[in-house]
Amino acid sequence: MNIVRNHVLISIDAGTLMSGARAVEDALVKEIVKQGLDKEVSVLETGSIGITGRGVILVVYPEGIYYADVTPDDVPELVEEHLLKGRPLTRLILTETPKRTIITKEKTGLLKEQPRIVLKNCGFIDPENIDEYIAAGGYEGIAKVLQTMTSEDVVAEIKSSGLLGRGGAGFPTGMKWDFAIKTPGDEKFVICNADEGEPGTFKDRLILEGDPHKLIEGMLIAGYAIHGTRGFVYIRGEYSLSIERIEKAILDARAYGLLGKNILESNFSFDIVVMKGAGAYVCGEETALIESLEGKRGHPRNKPPFPINAGLWGKPTLVNNVETLANISEIIRNGAEWYKGYGTEKCSGTKVFTILGHVATPGLVETEMGTTLKDIIFEYGGGIKNGKTFKGALVGGAAGAFLGPDMLNVKMDFVNLKEYSAALGSGAILVMNEDTDMVDMLKSVLHFFKHESCGHCVPCRLGTARLVELIDDIAASKAKKEDIDQLLEITRVMKDSSFCPLGQSVTLPVSSALKYFKNEFMSRVTS
Amino acid sequence: MTKEKTIQITIDNKTIDARPNQTILQAAREYQIYIPSLCAMEHLSSYGACRLCVVEVDGLRGFPTSCTTPVEEGMVIRTDTAEVKGLRQEVLKLLLSEHPASCLFCTEQDECKQYMGTIRKVGATTGCRYCPNDHRCELQQIAENIGLTETSYPVYYRNFPVEKYDPFYDRDYNLCILCGRCVRVCNNVRLNGTLSFKQRGRVTTIGPAFDRSHIDAGCEFCGACVTACPTGALSVKVSKWYGRPEGQVATTCNYCSAGCRLILQTTKTDVIDALPDYDSAVEHGIICVKGRFGITEYVHSPLRYGTPKEMTPAGYNDISWEEAIAKAAGKLSGLKPDDCLIVVSPQLLTEDLFVAQQFIRQVTGSEEVASSFIFDLDGDAASFINLALASEPFETIEKAQGILAVGFDSTYGYSPIGVKAKQAAQAGASLMSLNSFESNLDLLSKIAFVVNSSRWADVLDLTMSRMSKGKAEKRFADLVEMWGSDLNKTCETFSCSSHNVLIVGPGIIDSPDRGKILRSIERMKNEYSWKVVVAHQYTNLAGMFAMGACPGIKPGEMIKEASADKAVVLKAELIHIDLRKKRKLIYLIGDASFDSLPECEFLIYQNALPPQCSRQPDLILPVSLFTEASGTVISAEGRVLQVKEAVAPYMDSKPDWWILKSIAEKMGKGKMKFNDVSSIQGEIKKIIKGFPAVKKRIEFKEIEVKGNVKTHGKGKPAAWKSSYRGIPLGEVVSGIKVIELKGG
Ligand SMILES: Cc1cc2nc3c(=O)[nH]c(=O)nc-3n(C[C@H](O)[C@H](O)[C@H](O)COP(=O)(O)O)c2cc1C
Ligand code: SF4
Ligand code: SF4
Ligand code: SF4
Repeated sequence: MNIVRNHVLISIDAGTLMSGARAVEDALVKEIVKQGLDKEVSVLETGSIGITGRGVILVVYPEGIYYADVTPDDVPELVEEHLLKGRPLTRLILTETPKRTIITKEKTGLLKEQPRIVLKNCGFIDPENIDEYIAAGGYEGIAKVLQTMTSEDVVAEIKSSGLLGRGGAGFPTGMKWDFAIKTPGDEKFVICNADEGEPGTFKDRLILEGDPHKLIEGMLIAGYAIHGTRGFVYIRGEYSLSIERIEKAILDARAYGLLGKNILESNFSFDIVVMKGAGAYVCGEETALIESLEGKRGHPRNKPPFPINAGLWGKPTLVNNVETLANISEIIRNGAEWYKGYGTEKCSGTKVFTILGHVATPGLVETEMGTTLKDIIFEYGGGIKNGKTFKGALVGGAAGAFLGPDMLNVKMDFVNLKEYSAALGSGAILVMNEDTDMVDMLKSVLHFFKHESCGHCVPCRLGTARLVELIDDIAASKAKKEDIDQLLEITRVMKDSSFCPLGQSVTLPVSSALKYFKNEFMSRVTS
Repeated sequence: MTKEKTIQITIDNKTIDARPNQTILQAAREYQIYIPSLCAMEHLSSYGACRLCVVEVDGLRGFPTSCTTPVEEGMVIRTDTAEVKGLRQEVLKLLLSEHPASCLFCTEQDECKQYMGTIRKVGATTGCRYCPNDHRCELQQIAENIGLTETSYPVYYRNFPVEKYDPFYDRDYNLCILCGRCVRVCNNVRLNGTLSFKQRGRVTTIGPAFDRSHIDAGCEFCGACVTACPTGALSVKVSKWYGRPEGQVATTCNYCSAGCRLILQTTKTDVIDALPDYDSAVEHGIICVKGRFGITEYVHSPLRYGTPKEMTPAGYNDISWEEAIAKAAGKLSGLKPDDCLIVVSPQLLTEDLFVAQQFIRQVTGSEEVASSFIFDLDGDAASFINLALASEPFETIEKAQGILAVGFDSTYGYSPIGVKAKQAAQAGASLMSLNSFESNLDLLSKIAFVVNSSRWADVLDLTMSRMSKGKAEKRFADLVEMWGSDLNKTCETFSCSSHNVLIVGPGIIDSPDRGKILRSIERMKNEYSWKVVVAHQYTNLAGMFAMGACPGIKPGEMIKEASADKAVVLKAELIHIDLRKKRKLIYLIGDASFDSLPECEFLIYQNALPPQCSRQPDLILPVSLFTEASGTVISAEGRVLQVKEAVAPYMDSKPDWWILKSIAEKMGKGKMKFNDVSSIQGEIKKIIKGFPAVKKRIEFKEIEVKGNVKTHGKGKPAAWKSSYRGIPLGEVVSGIKVIELKGG
């Protein structure tokens, strides 16, 4: 087995490549082999580290030392001094502490500095190494909680942070925990919802892959807060790397006494199990998820009772999204006031968006709540690809809403979007350029719903089927004007009478598409 | 008793009292306030799938479904606003977009209902009169109530093949609306688990997982799903084309001693269906395949005798009743008591049994009231009877902490007992099953012993020895090796519990070692305080003993409260019946146990269907069956249950009591001046106070038999497959033959 002592991260992005990053990388690898260090030192490419104008950037871990303006000629000295002898090469060290910033998708340029809370460690630490997480301040949150806070303190802190659930509905997390703590029960469960079924969303996957311990810590704190006894990570089966990483992280945390009986020698005991889902969209809905966890068919349950009163096996159960839980340790460590410093008044903190579609640099971005759609697309997403113009965006996944160009200045947060009959949802932003056929877009959304309707209730099971027939006809220019009215009527009925939010939410994409792009639909039908 | 708290709610400006854990729909239904719904059903958990029961509630957003919303104090509910009505119509339109709908919105509908003028003018795919459920369909009623007269969608036909390959009922999922009632009743009420949803979304269908056939998936064919289905998706093979029943009669099943209540649906001449009665206090609607599907085919069998028949050298001749009675009277006259043997079925009604014993005693002067159960049980009859007549009521099982089921399986019978045992096991009772094959209780059992019945007594003895922490005997060695640790655990719970129930199943009667087994059971009862529930096929065994329709026991002698002496034990002389002795005449009353009978010169056969044997009866007297007769049975629990005539007797058939009293009259013997059933009941009232409207359970004395009873029969009879009046149901009811061959 190789024990890697040092990781050298080389930032590969547009800027560094122009400064000769590849040449430096080649020289580095050769020199390391020459010095016989290839079993102890690994060279890793990462995305942008967030520093521009300073040539090729290297970061050496675990020390976390940044080198700037590195050339191939500097490499032998650097390897000998730092990696062989353990003496950092002062002349190349970047003195100013870099602000931690976002990394969009791999190999894209640095765009704008932003605070990172959820993705703080992603790209900086080795996710499979618990020590690196600890070195980055990890598990301080749970230590603080166990030593200095009561459950009520924790709940009060989360409440005052204003954190809203990131699973889509934006329900106040502190309030949910408060209900949980007040529900009597000798056994309570914490479920992390990692089903991530919303099309175009992959934030939870990257959190799980990049920083699994953060999630464990969040679940631990949640468990402590609500007097929970056991945790479950319900994760979609397709996420094999995430599953691997979270499972390893759980084993490591257990070995360190961070999971199991009497955590950190306190009276608090808690353990976590990973359960794989089979990829049904509806199983992301918390009650269907619980049914599935119990080994049953993925149908939603009646609410009330809510999971918080009677969830998994009838016991009080807290369900939170991955991103929600990934915020917890930072809030606890830095305090609610610090957290409220980010975002808007009603929606504090940051949000991880996934930008995709016709943008120059699709990827993941963590920005403050309330950043405008325009900034997200044009600043972080690099604008529209190939110099085309912006036509619209589907925000919040399939169960979200279409937004037209006049909505570019809308502030992206849970509360504000609601005012425009849109939803932040999972934070997926699908950008469409001028060439996009909006009828086709809506068609693919409706096909998705038909495919994912669980079949439990009449309006959704049959409504989605009828919607698909209508939109297929419209797309094929075979429909009449009344068919568009019928389309809206069906979604209204579904909104008013579907059993669960899946069927209720179909109205959002349909009515918004017709609101912003009505002409396009009208041009396809005969009157 | 504390009175239950009520809360006040207002529905459509009417204030009503509701109970705290009711849903709006339940409360409304109790006050006859109509809210349409297809998926909600009494006795089933809320499901919320059809969305037709939407209402408006002050303070609640949108349109909550009344079947899922619990009532709250002061709730104000509106069930008929324009919005609610409109929403229901739209939801129903969607529902009907994939359901054949011509029977719902045909322009000719009204005329059609009256004159059937347009009958079968539409294609099978669109339904109309091709639906087996036409005129008795909940969907039709709902469409009418919701006032839907047209739809906005083309009707899509899903084109599923109609499934006809299992016995008893057909499945056409093109008519299914996925209300989930069948799945819920199968899983949550019957605790069977055969049905589930398959696939997802629009292509969801119902059926056993992995596309197995129902029979392979463990279906008990109890038909609860068919009863629950609001549409024509599930339909009973034999009765599906009868249309709307004309009448309905509540009666008691005569196929076993459980005494399930049934609702017989009828036309003028036929019994077309037998439905469970979920409000019945006896079995709460938990009936078995025999009661549900075994009746129509049996009572309408094409083989039924319609007129008396006499054997002639040229075969059977139809004769009149007058001739038949005269013939029987003539043959019976002048016989010495032991020249003839009269065999009475324990499946007759109590009234018939009373007349039968009077007939034997007064007309032939014999005490030999023979019966097939005595032939079956032979020397063990007394111990079995003592257990059976003292059987605890079924609800004893509900609260049991330990249950041991011996020779018991409720797949195709004894459902009320089996489902209670399953419920108890699900609620945490330790269930142990002991059988010679895998039983349907095994899945919920802590231990399921599958061993030959020759070892059952050993297992029982071992259980007792474990309960009292006794030393293991050598004869148990292999049992201990196989089940040791599980057995210890289970016996531990048994010995800690003060409420253990032993279920005695019919498998014991069939076992050659039943003597040993019965003795062990007696010990468990007497020394270890196990409560015993007995399931057996001798429907009116209790009635037989109450009426003294057995050798050596006089009418009423066995009933505790009826007899003057307070002794709990009756010293009886069960008369020795010698089955080796050749008789001049044998008279079978509702029985067909030909295998056990001695030779005879003349055979009178009083039954409804031909026997399966080489000895042809010399005189056949056709009887009416329990669907055509009135009277009572006394069930295993000691309940006096009413049997009510649902249709007129088949052709010229007559009740048993009528035939017997007519023969006696003709012979001028006996005091049997009965004109109808109530005059017999008047006689019986002298024995059982208040009969037949007896609310209390009848309690019996124990019998202590003097001497050794031995029938000297031809050995153990063939296993009593489920049969009625000596005829195996499988010989008459095609589906039962299939399940007995393939299932079980
Ligand atoms: C159809 C549907 C799909 C959903 N999928 C997800 C999902 O993939 N991940 C998730 O976290 N929440 C999903 N949700 C939301 C959950 O029901 C639940 O509100 C959430 O997990 C609560 O976590 P939060 O309070 O942290 O947001 C979905 C909801 C619906 C109706
Ligand atoms: S709205 Fe109804 S059919 Fe659709 S997913 Fe929810 S429960 Fe299933
Ligand atoms: S078969 Fe009948 S009971 Fe079962 S889901 Fe379909 S319509 Fe409902
Ligand atoms: S359990 Fe017995 S009484 Fe009940 S339906 Fe079946 S055969 Fe009839």
